[in-house]
Amino acid sequence: MNNLINVDSLTDIVSNSVGILIIFAVINLIHDNNKTYELEIPIEHETELRPAYIISKDDRLLILDTEQVFTNAAQQAGKGAASNKRIFDLGYNGLFAQIDELKGISFHARDTENWPKFTELAKSGSDLQNQLQAIDPKQYFAYFFVYDETSPGSTSGSGFESFREARKYLKHRRVKSGWQPVSADFPPGICDIGYSSECQYLPSFLASDAAPTL
Amino acid sequence: MTSRAAKHARYLPQDKLEISLFPFLSIFLCVMGVLSFINILSSVSAPQKIELTMELEQGYKVAFQVFTMPDGVISVPPINRLLELQQVVDEESRSMLAMIILRRQQVIDEVTYAQANPALVARSPDVEDISLWLYEIRQINEMALSVNFLYEEFILFGIYPNGGEAYQKIRSVMSRFEGARSISVGLEPLDANWSLSLHNKSGQ
Repeated sequence: MNNLINVDSLTDIVSNSVGILIIFAVINLIHDNNKTYELEIPIEHETELRPAYIISKDDRLLILDTEQVFTNAAQQAGKGAASNKRIFDLGYNGLFAQIDELKGISFHARDTENWPKFTELAKSGSDLQNQLQAIDPKQYFAYFFVYDETSPGSTSGSGFESFREARKYLKHRRVKSGWQPVSADFPPGICDIGYSSECQYLPSFLASDAAPTL
Repeated sequence: MTSRAAKHARYLPQDKLEISLFPFLSIFLCVMGVLSFINILSSVSAPQKIELTMELEQGYKVAFQVFTMPDGVISVPPINRLLELQQVVDEESRSMLAMIILRRQQVIDEVTYAQANPALVARSPDVEDISLWLYEIRQINEMALSVNFLYEEFILFGIYPNGGEAYQKIRSVMSRFEGARSISVGLEPLDANWSLSLHNKSGQ
């Protein structure tokens, strides 16, 4: 390279750029040290709304069609596949299920490959957006079963990020959300509070969120 | 005149010293590249801090914070406004509150002491401990209600990755504890690189 230009102006330009970068680096460092995130304080509330169940795992979301799920479970139970608390293939988006008198129906999400990624929430008109938009805020709230297991190299639960993003998306649509952490040992499940007091699904939101909009 | 012309001729533009700038450019661009890389790296990978105050409030509701981790749980009970409540309750309640405050102060001291590595004070959720938390919260809420003091404690769970098991155990105990239904509950997911920064300042 034989570009021959004035040495003074070149060194001036480059050293200025380096200086600015150093200043940016220092500002960034100071800013990062002071960066703190206020913990939100959502509180569970009793509600007349019904839950729309969503499973969040591996950065993916599955909105459960409860009617379809129970129909499939009933069919499998009719065939004897669900006897003795046996885990059976639900035939619904890679879900396996287990039926227990006390715990109701529990789900084991073994294959999540076909579930939509939460990044699809950013794509206008995506299937995931359409499914979440179908939740009527006057009748339903979203209840998330969020997998808290970490994948190698990750600092977050496998369903945390997708849950946060979906909750944010739903909040803009005034759909309330509730959640509970789940794992392979404590799988997500749907049961009736009439059978066990642990079977309660409540939305959690800030008191300010509950205020009626004018 | 001749000598001046000769002097001028020595500094004609075509005779300017020509230097190849490749090494300078190379070094400076390398420095710029490395600095930009460090800049981007630090902004992406710097662990996020989460501001967790000892006293976290939502209106008149005050959080009894419980952080659930794979190794166990850390509880951070509130104290500040209990001192105000102590001034307005009867003698019997006052002495009970004094005991509760003393016990909570010990817990807070323990957490503050181990702040560099809070996981050290994490312990497996014990039914007796949980029952004691619930009993105390219920007593405090009833005391506040009886004297029309705007104060209500609720349990706020901060759930770290793989901390769900501890959470489920606590909720299971709560579902069996008489009167726990009157205690409000909140929960938030926390990432493993969100470090606890506990200090005793007033909540938002």
